[in-house]
Amino acid sequence: MDRRAFLKLAATASGTAVLSGVPLMAAAQAKGGVLNVVVQPEPPGIMIGIFQNVPSQMVGGNIFEGLLRFDADLKPHPLLAESWESAADGMSHSFKLKENVLWHDGKPFTSEDVVFSLDKMLRETHPRVRNFLTAVESITADGPYKVDFKMKHPFAPFIQSFEVGSMPMLPKHLYEGTDYAGNPVNSAPIGTGPLKFAEWQKGSFLKLVANEQYHEEGLPSIEAVYFHVIPDGASRATAYETGKVDVLPGGSVEYFDIERLSQLPNTEITTKGWEFQGSQCFLWLNNTSKWVSDKRVRQALMFALDREAMRDIAFFGYAKVAPSPWNSSTKYYTEDIRQYPRDVEKAKELLKEAGYDGSPIRLLPLPYGETWQRLAEIARENLSEAGINVEFTATDVAGWNQRLGDKDYDIAFSYMSQYGDPALGVARLYTTSNIIKGSPWNNVSAFSNADLDALFDAGAREVDEEKRARIYQDAQALIAEEVPLAWLFEMIWPTIHRANIKNLISSAVGLNDSLGRARIE
Amino acid sequence: MNRLSFLIGRICQGILALFAIATLNFFLIRAAPGDPAAVMAGEAGAVDEKFLQVVRLQYGLDLPILQQWWIYISGIARLDLGYSYRQQASVASLILERLPATLVLTICAFVFSLVVGVTLGVLAARKPGSLTDRLIGFLALIFYAAPMYWLALMAVLIFSIRLGWLPAFGYQSIGADYHGLEALLDRMRHLVLPTLALSFFYVAIYTRMTRANMIAMSQMAFVKTARAKGAGETRIQLRHVLRNALLPVVTLAGLQAGNMVGGAIMTETVFAWPGVGRLMFDALMQRDYSLLLGAFLITAALAIIFNIITDIIYTLVDPRIAL
Amino acid sequence: MTRPNLLHKMFSRADVWLATLVLLVIVALAVAAPLIYPKGPWAMGGRPFLGPAGDLRFPLGTDTNGRNILAGLIWGGRVSLVIGLVSTAVAVSIGVLIGAVAGYAGGRVDAALMRFTEIFQVVPGFALALVLVAVLQPSAGSIVLAIGVVSWPPVTRLVRAEFLSLRSRDFVYAAQLQGQSSLRIMFRQILPNVASPIIVMGSLMVATAILLESSLSFLGLGDPNRMSWGFMVGASRTVLRQAWWMATFPGLAIAVTVLALNVLGEALNDALGSQSGKR
Repeated sequence: MDRRAFLKLAATASGTAVLSGVPLMAAAQAKGGVLNVVVQPEPPGIMIGIFQNVPSQMVGGNIFEGLLRFDADLKPHPLLAESWESAADGMSHSFKLKENVLWHDGKPFTSEDVVFSLDKMLRETHPRVRNFLTAVESITADGPYKVDFKMKHPFAPFIQSFEVGSMPMLPKHLYEGTDYAGNPVNSAPIGTGPLKFAEWQKGSFLKLVANEQYHEEGLPSIEAVYFHVIPDGASRATAYETGKVDVLPGGSVEYFDIERLSQLPNTEITTKGWEFQGSQCFLWLNNTSKWVSDKRVRQALMFALDREAMRDIAFFGYAKVAPSPWNSSTKYYTEDIRQYPRDVEKAKELLKEAGYDGSPIRLLPLPYGETWQRLAEIARENLSEAGINVEFTATDVAGWNQRLGDKDYDIAFSYMSQYGDPALGVARLYTTSNIIKGSPWNNVSAFSNADLDALFDAGAREVDEEKRARIYQDAQALIAEEVPLAWLFEMIWPTIHRANIKNLISSAVGLNDSLGRARIE
Repeated sequence: MNRLSFLIGRICQGILALFAIATLNFFLIRAAPGDPAAVMAGEAGAVDEKFLQVVRLQYGLDLPILQQWWIYISGIARLDLGYSYRQQASVASLILERLPATLVLTICAFVFSLVVGVTLGVLAARKPGSLTDRLIGFLALIFYAAPMYWLALMAVLIFSIRLGWLPAFGYQSIGADYHGLEALLDRMRHLVLPTLALSFFYVAIYTRMTRANMIAMSQMAFVKTARAKGAGETRIQLRHVLRNALLPVVTLAGLQAGNMVGGAIMTETVFAWPGVGRLMFDALMQRDYSLLLGAFLITAALAIIFNIITDIIYTLVDPRIAL
Repeated sequence: MTRPNLLHKMFSRADVWLATLVLLVIVALAVAAPLIYPKGPWAMGGRPFLGPAGDLRFPLGTDTNGRNILAGLIWGGRVSLVIGLVSTAVAVSIGVLIGAVAGYAGGRVDAALMRFTEIFQVVPGFALALVLVAVLQPSAGSIVLAIGVVSWPPVTRLVRAEFLSLRSRDFVYAAQLQGQSSLRIMFRQILPNVASPIIVMGSLMVATAILLESSLSFLGLGDPNRMSWGFMVGASRTVLRQAWWMATFPGLAIAVTVLALNVLGEALNDALGSQSGKR
């Protein structure tokens, strides 16, 4: 997206084509129908200003809305904001809000809510927002329908953070001056979205119903959505087969069941709707441990791994071998960098050069269940073929967190979201300033390279698209040479659903904000 | 009065055992990897120093260890088993929710294994060395030696996947909107395989013990007397031999009931049966230690309760126990 | 009873012969595993989900990762046997120690130790083993420890009972009069007399320990660096519909081994004519 002044025209135009096309068609359709969706696991809460995990997002993202919505190419489209403009130097942004938007309790939505949500509440309850707002000098309301942001320094992916999961708009009149976490409204949240909260039977189901006062004409076209809690993978598959549920979100059934289920009549399978999360699976390589700190050993690891076999065996084909440390949905992705096809001989050569003596290298599998266990077993086998003596360290989630946090490991599996922009989800894995003990979600490799730091720093502030692209392409080339960590796969979480449900996924966050726009034919 | 004091003694013993297990639990939680506060904080999804402080204060983790132990024990006395951050609910409520399913399964398996085990034992003892005896003996040997989870999987393979007679998992059909009798039948169909799987091992034990006791009893003087008096063989077998042979079997069964609760972990895992055992397995997978250890404590408590009930029944049935 | 006599009595039965043969084969295969499958049990040699008898290189088929089931069985036997033996040794050591002290000392020491033992007896053993391994983190060491900790009480009861009856025998008095230390009397004088029931019980305990280890591995609490039978069955659970052979063969291996050990243990029991409390 260019940062030309006033994108209103372009944005609205493409919005009509991609997103708002639905109501026009839907108006001609008979309204109604109920969607039955699996939610796994049961969310701890659905107020997404407070609970940010995956299941919470899937339910809450349909109740609340952000200022913008993003399509599969991560282009912004109007939602609560009908237009927006950014200064050419990236030092200010302003949003024009849609009028006549009502909260589910009938109160109007205004600029006061936006200022409160971002500046007050989310700053406290949402760690990722705190991060986005470090570049922001001030947030002010200019009349009831305009909000202005003044920046301390340009932050290139700023517009991208107005997605619902990152910055949901919350009702000021219900939260101001209250204990946010303890507010009773959290259990029956009030948002502006096309669906509103109706009922939650813990352990069984969660029900949302159509918001009749929704601000987009003709939406929603369904009557209600049930989120069913079914605690066992095999039972979830059966629930789809027997017709109790119509939608199996990504990750709700085992990989080996996907093939069978997708063959069922009236069934469609799609891998869309994960473009914003864009998770990549990789191996942390501890750059402070004896052997792995040697670049040649790290390159040898890359050459030794059989990523095709891992994809086929562990993920039953549902993963994409990553040609770059950037996901292909992340901005400025390029394949024009050094590649590491499997080459055991090359790996052996590099290890010999590095003087590796066969001493044990500890591998930490990701303790998230069978698929990840199998993946680690394949990796161990691949590496031992190249002469690397790999030993598993058995850990649980707590132990895994602790070991990564303390850098007490040699190599370790993980996967993390890239949020579509290198400044949001990639830089954090590589920059020296992000080598912080105690958390498994920062630069756990402890890789430190001044050139790379400079590139990431410049990239985050650069507002010129072409210059920015060049910076990040250089960064990718540098990473591909140094191998600070071993990038493996772009994660694919296919959604399985009945073919007569149309427009089920209409954004880059998929089911997380699309359910209210689906229709049943 | 003697019986009463015996029972009170047993109950005190049970409480003592629970107390010891709770203490063991307390130290196991602290032996688990990582700072307990960090573990809890990690489960709550936020690890910053401020949160750690709150957790430490809340759980008294900055207090001397003995004081912490006392807080834990007195919490248990009030049925406060702690809080599961992973599940966002109190451990006691999570376990209570799952307890009925476990009780249904265990009681069914208990009754089934006792009835089948005794029947097979009696059949085998009728003519020691006969083909029937050998066949039953072989069956018992297999049931005894094969791992329970494997027998369970084999049962699923045969009865669910190959023949399609019985559901392979769960406790009711998903999506089927059954009511009344239909719902009951549906539940019963789901109960068959888990009950069988949990019973196999115990059927083997009871069969062999019944058989051995029956054979031993029929050599006893009082049986010979009855025979001399001209009582019918069936009557002798049932009235005299079985009755006396049964007592030790029932006692053993009572003692095994506690172990059955432990075995339910395996069965419930294989069959996705929503009981405490399955909860324990899930807690294990997610290393939700407070839930895992809470469920362990409840499992142990159930075992102790079953033992005490066995003792009570025993004192009522066997006059010789009136100490 | 003299040794040849004992053996003669045991091997007069056909099932004992069979059981011995089976065990010998299993032990031989386990010992020879590195020779038979030098690449180890984790090598991914074939196509995943290959059925048995489809490819001569994989007579029992392959698993989800294309690993040879037969190689897994042969290597897995090592783990089962070693863990079974070592953890039984641990359990017997704990049991003998506590039982001997309780039985020899009698009185309050005995009462206290027996209360202690009862607590372990009343706790469902499998649940305790599970919790111990989970907290200590799965490894060969923690598994051996856990199995040992849950298996010793029967040994203690047995040893205590024997010591109680033996401690008032003449040879013990004689030793006491000679001024031998209690420790020496316990372990040099009395213990040898209790050896045969302990051996019988131990042989049956190895079978139970193998079962327990396989159950832990089945639930994913095995040593992740060692292939074991329980792990193999556990890995098959979710793909039962696709690959029956993955579950069937390793389970069969466990059942046969445990069966053989039981037959031998019981034959030993009968031959020794001891009253050791089997089960």
